[in-house]
Amino acid sequence: MLNIALPKGRLGDKVYNLLANIGYDCSEIYDDNRKLIFRNEKSGVCYLLVKPSDVAIYIAHGAADIGIVGKDILEEDKLDLYELLDLKLGKCNMCVAAPENYIEDLDRPLRVATKFTNIAKNYYLSLNREIEIIKLNGSIEIAPLLGLSDVIVDIVETGTTLRENHLKVYETIMPISARLIANKSSYKFKNAEILDLVTKLEKELAEND
Amino acid sequence: MAQIPDFLAKEDELGISLPLLFESRGYKKYRMSKFEEYSFYSDNRKFLTDDGVIAFNNADGRLMALKPDITLSIVKNAKLSEKLTRLYYNESVFRISNAAKDFREIKQCGIEVLGDIDSYITSEVILLAAKSLEMIDRNYSVSVSHNDIVLSLIDDCDISIADRKRLAGCIGGKNTHDFRRICRECGISDETADKITSLFTIDMPINDAIGRIEALVDTEKTVNALNELKTLCKTLSACGIADKINIDLSVTQHIDYYNGIVFRGYVEKAPAAVLSGGRYDLLARKIRDNIGAIGFAVYLDNLNLYYRKTREYDTDILIINKDSGNTDKLISLANGFCSEGKSVCVEREKPDSYRCRATYIFENGELTEEEKC
Repeated sequence: MLNIALPKGRLGDKVYNLLANIGYDCSEIYDDNRKLIFRNEKSGVCYLLVKPSDVAIYIAHGAADIGIVGKDILEEDKLDLYELLDLKLGKCNMCVAAPENYIEDLDRPLRVATKFTNIAKNYYLSLNREIEIIKLNGSIEIAPLLGLSDVIVDIVETGTTLRENHLKVYETIMPISARLIANKSSYKFKNAEILDLVTKLEKELAEND
Repeated sequence: MAQIPDFLAKEDELGISLPLLFESRGYKKYRMSKFEEYSFYSDNRKFLTDDGVIAFNNADGRLMALKPDITLSIVKNAKLSEKLTRLYYNESVFRISNAAKDFREIKQCGIEVLGDIDSYITSEVILLAAKSLEMIDRNYSVSVSHNDIVLSLIDDCDISIADRKRLAGCIGGKNTHDFRRICRECGISDETADKITSLFTIDMPINDAIGRIEALVDTEKTVNALNELKTLCKTLSACGIADKINIDLSVTQHIDYYNGIVFRGYVEKAPAAVLSGGRYDLLARKIRDNIGAIGFAVYLDNLNLYYRKTREYDTDILIINKDSGNTDKLISLANGFCSEGKSVCVEREKPDSYRCRATYIFENGELTEEEKC
């Protein structure tokens, strides 16, 4: 039995459809209830629906064998896992964004508002730029508009939210997409089952491409 | 090997059985202080994990550290014999967890061999690693690699230390997609990237792996590394543990310190490696003159969680003492149960939720059995 941690929400739905197409279906998942664990003995899978930012934690602690998670979470948490596939779903970019008329003042530390504090720290460390992190949990875009920060570090998908708040992408840090991850111990002891799923998934992704 | 009492928790059980195993192969116990000068660790910072070191000033004002690592300390302080020194330890290390931002005590039991390391010693160490894992769980797996096979190919590429670190991160995570992307960003050819990717995704039984690696290596360093791996695998197969060994070339250790065979051990119920080790001549030679070194550590913390033992009874016998005297007789009766191999506890009243095989009442100098609890 493979335990698969799926992120709740749109990405999880897309990934579930992908997995169901290659034989890992569990129709019960569509039932209108509040269950979070769905098991299908016939397809040999047990799906766990968890908060997207918690998927990697479930995998690292062995509560699930494999899971699907955004690259942003992996870069932020840096857990000891295998990252087996880029599913090329949920594509976006981790960016530095700033007000449209922003001019950087290099004479003082940069104030950066973000919920991705580790990504921001590592990025500016690589540039040898002194920063002051302002950790926020949502509505990051309003921080520079209210003078709380100079720039923000956040995920940008279409750029609509930025434009509507008179911000623009200032720098792109890295591309983001959904990744298939595995627990290192599960990879050793459920190797055949995991490799079988990876092979089928790779084939399905190639056909969809 | 001595019989380990069944009631001991996994960590305590291994604290006895692993030293017995190491002693049986001629390893001598190395006991160390919990403190060391901080400067020693700051000079060898890269050898340690990313977790922080717990530092403090001693009475003389010197900056000290609670020992964050055992290998470094043994290499620096151990009295070496002329040819070969075999040591084992059962100690705690102390670190500041970067993730949880709190102090951690991590119990480790392991071995270090310092001196002239040959193929016999390498095989002996990996066999002891396998036996150590078997003591935790019969369903175990040792992932063996050679540091020079994959990392030397990256060293041959002209890239910055930061990019090298990014690529090493991808290798450890079996992450081929980002590895190829970073290679393109660094100007490494697709051909080289494909070759390295084909190598670090090898994670399979010995016989399948050796053939695959043979077809992919051609530089002097990688061919020598493969030959070393082949010799080791031949010995491990002859020892009858080939089915427990995987060649996993995604296993790497810091190239400034490790220079040969490296390995990690997994057991079925633990979500991460519980054993890590390898050949670290480069570290040893930074501290001592011209010696080789190999060793491993078993991480004992959390094993009680993954291998939980539930006790059916608190003791075999519970005696409720309702007598006001006759202490000599009561002690003699309790001793009698112990000499029959039964555990016994004497209480004035039966504690809440107490579980025992039999309850006795001691009153007026007489012992009578109560109904089963």
